[in-house]
Amino acid sequence: MEAVANAPETLEIPTIPTYINGSHALMQTLVAEGVDTIFGYPGGAIMPVYDALYDFQERVNHILVRHEQGAGHAAQGYARMQRRAGVCLVTSGPGATNLVTPIADAQIDSTPLVCIVGQVAKKLLGTDAFQEADIMGVTMPITKWNYQITSADEVPEIIAKAFYIAQSGRPGPVLIDITKSAQLELMTKPYVYKKCESIVSYRPRMVAKQEQVAAAAELINAAKRPYILAGHGVQIAKAEDELRLLAEKTGIPVATTLLGQSTIPTNHPLYVGWLGMHGNYGPNVMTDQADVIIAIGMRFDDRVTGDASRYIKQAKVVHIEIDPSEIDKIIRADAPVVGNAKDVLEALIPLVHPNDHTIWRNEFRKYDIIENETITVPELTSKDGKIRMAEVIDMLSTKTKGEAVLVTDVGQHQMMASRYYQFRRPNSLVTSGGMGTMGFALPAAFGVQVGAPDRQVVAIIGDGCFQMTLQELGTIVQNKQPVKAIILNNNFLGMVRQWQQLFNERRYSFVELQNPDFITIARGFGMDGQTCRERDDLSNALDTMLAHDGPFLLEVIVEKEENVFPMVPAGASVSQIRLT
Amino acid sequence: MTTYTICIFTENTIGLLNRITIIFTRRRINIESLTVSETERKGISRFTIVIKHESREEVEKLVRQIRKIVEVMAVFGYLNDEIVYNEIALFKISTPLGRKSLDVETINKVHKAWVVYWGLDYVVIEKTGNDTDIRAFFDYIEQYEILEFVRSGRIAVGKTEKGLVEYLPEAEWAYYQ
Repeated sequence: MEAVANAPETLEIPTIPTYINGSHALMQTLVAEGVDTIFGYPGGAIMPVYDALYDFQERVNHILVRHEQGAGHAAQGYARMQRRAGVCLVTSGPGATNLVTPIADAQIDSTPLVCIVGQVAKKLLGTDAFQEADIMGVTMPITKWNYQITSADEVPEIIAKAFYIAQSGRPGPVLIDITKSAQLELMTKPYVYKKCESIVSYRPRMVAKQEQVAAAAELINAAKRPYILAGHGVQIAKAEDELRLLAEKTGIPVATTLLGQSTIPTNHPLYVGWLGMHGNYGPNVMTDQADVIIAIGMRFDDRVTGDASRYIKQAKVVHIEIDPSEIDKIIRADAPVVGNAKDVLEALIPLVHPNDHTIWRNEFRKYDIIENETITVPELTSKDGKIRMAEVIDMLSTKTKGEAVLVTDVGQHQMMASRYYQFRRPNSLVTSGGMGTMGFALPAAFGVQVGAPDRQVVAIIGDGCFQMTLQELGTIVQNKQPVKAIILNNNFLGMVRQWQQLFNERRYSFVELQNPDFITIARGFGMDGQTCRERDDLSNALDTMLAHDGPFLLEVIVEKEENVFPMVPAGASVSQIRLT
Repeated sequence: MTTYTICIFTENTIGLLNRITIIFTRRRINIESLTVSETERKGISRFTIVIKHESREEVEKLVRQIRKIVEVMAVFGYLNDEIVYNEIALFKISTPLGRKSLDVETINKVHKAWVVYWGLDYVVIEKTGNDTDIRAFFDYIEQYEILEFVRSGRIAVGKTEKGLVEYLPEAEWAYYQ
């Protein structure tokens, strides 16, 4: 990488005794940071960078999306697979504001992004110039850090800093606003790239204090009914092995959050299911029985806790978390451990005593039986009516042997995908958790496929969600990425409809959709697809999709008014979970 | 409602004030006063922000959120008895011919306030002190015509022996100790 960074700029005309311009400095720094993929969309205020990019095509794969939001979500998908920053490059004004949703999504789901956005020339700042938006002001509350570059000399240092901040500690999105004048002007000194390795005012703690780890171990060792809640932080820290080792040594049951799914295989004997509003029955209600909760890399989201004032009141809490501001934010921790999940678990495992909590673990099973009888089995075996979402996911799970990466949108299909897919490999669920961004899945699945070319990528999308970002079919086709997309079509905004049915006396207020012919749309983009209406055709349809060389859209017409259960109604405690 | 004084040490960069106040706005916490100045260490700014809040827990969460800002080096939340603090107020008092003259002795000796500018038909009086002192002086001087009154935000230093800047940049709050 050093060699590349220091390589002379080949297209610089030698007769001009000057240094490179801001745009070339930017490209060189991106290459030096190891960037090989950029998701972007050109426009006026970023054109100098695109001109420099023209010279870097061999080293950097720029992917032209169809909408800047698509660039953002694709970069998120890419980042989650690569577990390093995804890069977006867009223009000022509307280009930048179109990135706002993915940035907010990345912030709340701790996804590292470096978003480089053009800005009007320095002398035009604040004049309401064409395509000028105060994107610094707009993104300040939803970025981990943002910065406006107004001179070419700042470029190498600031870009290096952007990557360091985005990727270190609790990852997150960074936005760099770069004026057109800074892109065009020449540096006044030789270009030097230096990797950012620390910032005086920003020092994320990775390795926990020994006394905090010891205090956590003490609580765990004394516990009679300990219970591990594993979140996204485990995945971000690549601590899947450590999580498994901790659980296996201590015999402690493990539940995951929505984003923590696939950190432990679903067939692992210590895995009990997932938490949350539509999570499994046992894992939710058993939080009320545990005497020690070991929360790892999770933040007690309200979808996990239900009414937080009635959540795990009886338990002592060990909270392992990289972000100190999450400690005591929702649930008071008796043993807070600030650090990276991997480092903390490595330190913790030797301190915990081997144990066997079989009797305690078996208590989860009686809830599993109830859930199976009332929900799972009927959903999977009902032969009347239209196809159920559960059947599609279950069959997909079997056919892919649980090894695909599932990318899901937001709503009923998202919850069903989580309920019925049997994850076997780590890092296999990419979904918009905290923000709940409809339209996330299609562009994110594209980014996931780019970031993990050797994995089978299947997007599970609702008919409503699909219509928010369907233009990215064009990106998928143009880049020949073999993304498989399944639309679970119930002609409804299903989750909202479910709430209206349960809580608003079936007053269905603007939730029914008149949908287009999705397959015709896919074909229009040059993508193959088919519709499956009958239960008997489902298996063949999935086989066709999975065997297809290249991208494929499978529309499955599902039961119109199906509900997702279990469900913890908003504001209720987790023990008030409903099965019907 | 308890008064809290939050001292924030930061790098001196554009937009940081905005970045900090957004955190208050988002939690709907009203800022009673705010003062920014450079510290004895060049390039490091000190924000002194006064808020009133019912819940110490919420203030602690606020402090931690502020700490998360990349450019913020340290944040300290104080109760009034943990700091030495002051404010400054300027009073523009009308002194037209023929009006009862100011009792400068009382102003100086009782109120420890000073006339800092003499205009043709007005004077400007400077009064430093805490909220109560300034309020008392206001009540006293009201008998003359107050043309303008302005009060600064609070400035404060902690009562510990060490200067806060000595903690920098290693200074960390509780969970880092």
